Amino acid sequence: MRRRCGSRLLLCIMLLLLPMQILFAVEVITHAGSATQLQGNTNLRSIFSMRTRYWPNGEKIRVFVLPDDNEIHKTFVKQKLDMFPHQLRRTWDRMTYTGTGQPPITVHSIAEMLEKIKTTKNSIGYIDRRVEDENIHFFDAQ
Amino acid sequence: MKLCRLKIILYCLSLFSYIAGAAEHILDAVQSDATSADISQQGFDWTPYQKAWHDDVQLHGFLSQGLFNSSGNNVFGNSKNSVSAGLTEVGLNISYQALNNLSFALQGLYRRAGESTGSAGEVSLDFGFVDLTLIDLSAIRIGVRGGRIKNSWGLYNETRDVSFTHPTIFLPLIYFERSRSMMLAMDGGQVYADYNSAIGDFSFKFNYGFMNDNKELLLSITANPNVGGHLDPEKSFMTQLRYDIDGGKYIFALSYADINMGYVAYGAFDPYAGMQTHIYPIVVSAQYNGESFNLTGEYSYQWNEFSNFSNRADARPISEHWYIQAGYRLLDNVEFTVRYDASVQDISDRKGELFQQLTGLPSHLAYTKDWVVGLRWDITPAWMVRTEYHWIHGASMVSALDNPDAMNIAKDWNIYALQVSFRF
Repeated sequence: MRRRCGSRLLLCIMLLLLPMQILFAVEVITHAGSATQLQGNTNLRSIFSMRTRYWPNGEKIRVFVLPDDNEIHKTFVKQKLDMFPHQLRRTWDRMTYTGTGQPPITVHSIAEMLEKIKTTKNSIGYIDRRVEDENIHFFDAQ
Repeated sequence: MKLCRLKIILYCLSLFSYIAGAAEHILDAVQSDATSADISQQGFDWTPYQKAWHDDVQLHGFLSQGLFNSSGNNVFGNSKNSVSAGLTEVGLNISYQALNNLSFALQGLYRRAGESTGSAGEVSLDFGFVDLTLIDLSAIRIGVRGGRIKNSWGLYNETRDVSFTHPTIFLPLIYFERSRSMMLAMDGGQVYADYNSAIGDFSFKFNYGFMNDNKELLLSITANPNVGGHLDPEKSFMTQLRYDIDGGKYIFALSYADINMGYVAYGAFDPYAGMQTHIYPIVVSAQYNGESFNLTGEYSYQWNEFSNFSNRADARPISEHWYIQAGYRLLDNVEFTVRYDASVQDISDRKGELFQQLTGLPSHLAYTKDWVVGLRWDITPAWMVRTEYHWIHGASMVSALDNPDAMNIAKDWNIYALQVSFRF
């Protein structure tokens, strides 16, 4: 009996631990000025892989990301791009160290991400919460 | 006198900081909509120049240091029954996106790799080119590059000196260390085309121009450590078609090169005068990148033609290199890798018996079989440390410069290696 209780407790703990990564929802955000550039078929994977480099109006897309080992970054890459962080890193490294492209700008906190998106025209990034700010546009609010 | 010079320096510094400050103000001004409107009222429209140039300049770099201990043969310096710190790689690059369709990129490389570079190491221009995009639609991009351009050959060649971008410290034998400088980059032009479709991303590159001179390759072709002349690059090309499915979950690539070099004789009695080398390899690459598991295989078939010798018959050996490699991520930042790697210099002489008859050198200089296990730990995104162990049978991969006594090159030997890397 005691043993059964123990295994149930273990199961509960495991169930609690497992979904920790997906407890927060990641939101893709852009500078408010780029809201009209987003279209139904906007390809986030292509933008964050730096293959689509310009918004439809011709302005260069300013991409901001969190570091590779950041949990929000990992969740973003899996949920929104349907990729793994190491795939994205390989793509960025290839362009960086052959001179054929520029990787996204890395910011080190959510606060810095918000600040960059607010103040940089044509920018795109992601955060783990919803905020009210007239300079920030939420991608899924279309 | 000294005081006067100091005053001049101080004056220059203050002038410089004033100009820099003023420039910053101007930049701030043109960035803000309100002030730019004021400026345009004064008669000049700044709007097209509002782009802040410093956002379009990026600086990146890397640094790595290896430690090697081996039995039997030396790698990267004096590692045999000793420890060599003979591999240092430092790179610094700057890229500038001047216009939407025009960019510039430049990378300097410092490299110290055993005897091939000497203990002081070598500084080189790794790449430096102008990139002009001719067509840039959402799914298609076509353009040209001119200058010194990296060669996309197999999966790892173009970033072979950036330790972060390959799974083990030693690259697979396809990426022969001694043909490194030959394969590395092309002085000339490139045509590139990228096509992103619903079934995956296609990338095509065609490089045309001149490869680099290579002393180690010459030593290997002539099997003569006293060869006096050098190889002079002639017109060559290298091309690759790459196909990435699902953002790089599956990668397939086909690479082909056609490399020509002529021998420049040293003195009137040089026995190799007139020699021509023509090397044309093909590589088939496939890779699977899962969340924790990855699997890579590459196969290379290389035609070689060494002709116009005055003292011996032409040689047309076909070399073959292949490997299969599996990796498993124990954690997001800790990866275990195992690889089996095989290489023969001449497929009609896999055991090197003919080679031994012709040159008098040990037959095991004609092939290599290598089992590798490695562990990599990405401590942070910027710092990485890794270690690996090699069980090697054969010695076609050893450097003649690090192992000048060819008669005493060991057939069965091991390498233990450790590397620390940093990047930004």
